[in-house]
Amino acid sequence: MEIAERHVRTWVASPRDKEIEDTVSGVANGQLKLAHVVKALGEYLTSEDGDFRNKGVEFLALVVSKCPTDNFNLQSGTGRVLCVKARRHRNDNSPPSKASSRLLASRFLFQKIYMIYAQREISFGFADLWRCSYRRSIFTNVNMQALVQVQRHTVFSIFDSLVALRRDVLKSMGDSFLSGYIALADGEKDPRNLMVAFAIARVLAIEFDISKKFEDLFNITFCYFPITFRPPPNDPYRITADDLRNSLRSCLSASPLFGNLAVPLFLDKINAGSPTTKRDTLQTLAVCLPVYGPRVAVNLARKLWNSLKLEIFQPTDVETEGEALKATQVLIKTIYADEVRDADLDGLAKDACEECIQILKEPEKSQAKPAIKVLCAFMSTTPSVSRFTLSHAVPHLTKHFVDPDELPNRGPVLSLLSSLIAAARDSTVKVADTEEAFLLPFKDEVLGILVTGLKAQTSLRPAIEGLNGLVTTLGLLDDQEIGFVVQKVNEVISNQQEDPLGARDEALDLLKVISIKTPSHIAEMTLPLLFSALPDQAPGRDDPNLFETLVVRLSVRLSLLYAPAAVPDDSEPSAAYVHALLSTLADVLSRKVENGDVDVQKYVDRLVPRLFNLTIHGALVATGNKSVADPRIIDVIARIVNLVVQSLSAQRQETFAETLITAYMKGDITSLAVGDLSLPTERCFAPFDPAASESQANLIALFSESVIAFHPEVKIPVEDESALLVQLLNWGIRHAKTGRQRECAWHIVAVIVNKRPADLDSFLDTSFTTFWDEQIAKLLDTDVRRRAISAWAWISRALLVRNHPKALPFVNRLFELFDDTKVGWDAARAIGQAGTVDKVLTKRNHAVIKVLHAQKYASSILPKIIQGIKDSTEQSRQITYLVSLAALIKVIPRAAYSHELPILMPLLLRGLSLPDPTLRAGVIDTLLSAAQADAEAGSKTAKEGSVVSEHAVSLTNAMLLNGAAAEMPVVVRLSLHHPAYRANLEEQRVRLGALKYLAILPKVVRYDVLHPQKAMVLRELAKALDDPKRVVRKEAVNARSV
Amino acid sequence: MASEVFNPNPTVIATVSPTARRRAAHARHSLWLLDDEDSAIYPSDDEPEPIDADEIFDLIRSISDPEHRSMTLEELAVVSAPQISVVPSRVLIEFTPTVPHCGMSTLIGLSIRVRLLRALPTRFKVDIRVKPGSHQSEHAVNKQLNDKERVAAALENPALVEVLETCLQSASRRGL
Repeated sequence: MEIAERHVRTWVASPRDKEIEDTVSGVANGQLKLAHVVKALGEYLTSEDGDFRNKGVEFLALVVSKCPTDNFNLQSGTGRVLCVKARRHRNDNSPPSKASSRLLASRFLFQKIYMIYAQREISFGFADLWRCSYRRSIFTNVNMQALVQVQRHTVFSIFDSLVALRRDVLKSMGDSFLSGYIALADGEKDPRNLMVAFAIARVLAIEFDISKKFEDLFNITFCYFPITFRPPPNDPYRITADDLRNSLRSCLSASPLFGNLAVPLFLDKINAGSPTTKRDTLQTLAVCLPVYGPRVAVNLARKLWNSLKLEIFQPTDVETEGEALKATQVLIKTIYADEVRDADLDGLAKDACEECIQILKEPEKSQAKPAIKVLCAFMSTTPSVSRFTLSHAVPHLTKHFVDPDELPNRGPVLSLLSSLIAAARDSTVKVADTEEAFLLPFKDEVLGILVTGLKAQTSLRPAIEGLNGLVTTLGLLDDQEIGFVVQKVNEVISNQQEDPLGARDEALDLLKVISIKTPSHIAEMTLPLLFSALPDQAPGRDDPNLFETLVVRLSVRLSLLYAPAAVPDDSEPSAAYVHALLSTLADVLSRKVENGDVDVQKYVDRLVPRLFNLTIHGALVATGNKSVADPRIIDVIARIVNLVVQSLSAQRQETFAETLITAYMKGDITSLAVGDLSLPTERCFAPFDPAASESQANLIALFSESVIAFHPEVKIPVEDESALLVQLLNWGIRHAKTGRQRECAWHIVAVIVNKRPADLDSFLDTSFTTFWDEQIAKLLDTDVRRRAISAWAWISRALLVRNHPKALPFVNRLFELFDDTKVGWDAARAIGQAGTVDKVLTKRNHAVIKVLHAQKYASSILPKIIQGIKDSTEQSRQITYLVSLAALIKVIPRAAYSHELPILMPLLLRGLSLPDPTLRAGVIDTLLSAAQADAEAGSKTAKEGSVVSEHAVSLTNAMLLNGAAAEMPVVVRLSLHHPAYRANLEEQRVRLGALKYLAILPKVVRYDVLHPQKAMVLRELAKALDDPKRVVRKEAVNARSV
Repeated sequence: MASEVFNPNPTVIATVSPTARRRAAHARHSLWLLDDEDSAIYPSDDEPEPIDADEIFDLIRSISDPEHRSMTLEELAVVSAPQISVVPSRVLIEFTPTVPHCGMSTLIGLSIRVRLLRALPTRFKVDIRVKPGSHQSEHAVNKQLNDKERVAAALENPALVEVLETCLQSASRRGL
């Protein structure tokens, strides 16, 4: 006791933690009793002086909060004292207007003590005491309206912990507690407090006997419905309207007693509210109805249905309609939850069903859609309702279909029927003991009319959709019936008529679905049909057996086409046909490789030699059928070979490499090109010979695509790999006849450099010095130099992706050329090219690729370029750097330059006025992707966003210039690979990109920045509306309507 | 929205998938099945592509009907490609109101006009007509829609413009 007094006095004189700790440890080891502390504090706690009283309370609060739990037994006196004090304290201080801030603080401290007590009560016998004094003191003393939010929150928290921990005691208090609480919680407005209040109310409604008080409880909860709260901006508490909504909803759905009162209120809100309110109400209704039970539901069913109907048939928006349908489902489920009997269904479901069927009498009208949606919703309610719905709706629709007066409406009828079939399939209701589908009783007639529907153009698509539904329903159609469906769909596919509605695609989709389930039908019926006709697409990609058939059939067909006997007058169609066949094969193969199918490997023996046989034959034997050696065909074959070789193991690749080299380098094609066609022995195969014909040289593509796919371990079986590379470089620069052939040579060089640099030191050294000097630096022939630069870029790229130490020296040499007026730009572009992601050096082709190589490249080259632009005094040199920047920026990852954007932006803007459309397109693409990322992040305030707004005006002007088409330069029809054609394409890309950028700009830049530009932009865009190209016009329209 | 509903339950037609149409057109021209990305995105020859009826239809097909906001003019068969004719710099569009007493006809016509005003080059002269015989006051509607002064006056009415904008919101959906 004395110790306590001493501690108290010392602490009041100079508050330090030591006294508190001493007191607490005293209480803990039993020397002190809490009652002593309270007594010692006596004069402070009762003092008239607010300061003193505060100190007293604060001390007590600190001690109590730190005391270990088990020291609280037998100290109930403390509680009583506290309550008395608290009460007096409160009385002192009301009315609150007079209370100084200090007093408020002290009151808060009292509450703190309350709370600590409330929480600590768990294990000790305070119950009686609290019941009589503490509890009542809260009810009588707390004037909620007079308290600020934080304090009300404390009160709610106290109740929350009481309800959680002392539920039995509160229950035994009965209605007095309930009415006390209800009075207290009434009129609360703060969302933070409401979150707690709703949680408490839910517990009260579920756990307590509220039979007498439910109206009051209803009043204090339903008055908040619907929640229209909108959180203030930058709300630190992060309470969203959804949080409140969910917590109120769980409170409203807590007791069935609310039912009769709540539903009319909900109906009011549905009829009168805004779309958000409607949705909220419908969702709440769906949660509440099952709790309120069938009695409430049946009583109010009519009214509910009338309201819901309105929402479904005249929906405000799609979402609300969906919610209304869900609520209807819940309603039906609630009403018919207990019913097991099937025979006669009456009440709401029957009425509603008949109502909908009545509407379905006009299937072509717009109201039929919502009607069928309602019926579909019924399918997922209870078994009896589902069965009833089907047994009325299906016969009705079938009758309608066969009615000759309704012939024009067959399409709509079938589309309604197919949605019903899909709903029946997806129905969540399962008949308990059987897997039987609901549709089984109607199977035959439905199948019948769907098949009839296939015959007319207008009903074709819905019929296919319906069949799709039938086929995917488990346990509905047997094997024979599926066969029947396949047969009928085959007829659709083989129909040669125009197909304006895209029904054939859907038919193929249907076959694809069937092929997953039962491939046999497809193999037996559809494939032969497809092969006998022009095969346009291969169904059943996933089945290895089907693929086998495909390969065999296709290669037979190929041999026939290549056969010298069949040389048609106009060979182009047959070449295109071969191309189509081979593309199919390549597509299927690439899909198989993606799936990781193991059977791809075996085609190295079966397919690849035959392909070589065909192509080499085509190149050697000039039959006049030139088109079979068309580069496009060679490319596609090369793709197939590449895919097969990719999948081989390293050992297998080694033997293949042997064969390949023997053929290409030594001219011995006997083991490589094994096939049906006998190859002439008198003509030699030497594609790398400078004197070789163009068609022979084209075959290098096959060689290159094979080498590309080799594993790094595979050694190219020649004496000196370096020598081979030098030879290839030389061939590529001097002798290759087309760009494609040259590319092939570079590809080979690049992959070998990438995969086997260890063996190539001499090659790298000599090329770094000698090759550079001889072919690039000192030579006079610009064309040769250009080619050499592009080879250089490939070598750099190959080194770059594996982070080879020589990579950067190689790239850096390119800067030496920047002053050269002839090839400076080519060198600048090559810097971009070295960073470009290509299709050759890929993981799938077993290239050695290190992570983050692109970032590394960007971080070492980009500063150099920026520096170069700043330092160069001559304009031409500066522009060359700009070109390299434009080429580079589109190939490096955004993260690598985003921090430099403030510096880069003006440079890029200048890049937009470069004459080369490819570069401009690159810059625009870069800006566009940056803007798109910004728009997605939704940040008008982000760092890059602000850079964009800074330059918004100049960006807009530059884009407008780029977006408008110049005079249409070339109107003649150009071939696909003609340079002028390419340039036109690039121009078009520039215009497209610029217009897209203009469309996205308002999403990234604040309105006030762009507003002055608006009228001008709209006027300028009007020019782009008259662009010669349709795609460009489309973008212009989109940009204009943003 | 007007309080009076002129046609509460109109007939709905299936829309034509634009990809199928486009591809059919493409297939007629090209012999080769190139899967080159470029040829998929860009037309494979370099001829100018003049604005045709299909393109104009594409511009107006997905305008919402003022009476049935969830449905487009195409779905209600108010507009269709064959009802559009284009000669250089001149477009004639016929539309069919869903019912002969449709009070929304002028609004539909106006929304078509505004859309084309914004989406067609200025050199085009656009005539919009109600399909002959499909509306009670056909003549009056036609006159109203093709009178520059009256269109301009209508566009100064903020309430009317607001309704128009809501109809045109869906216009950029096109055939999708």
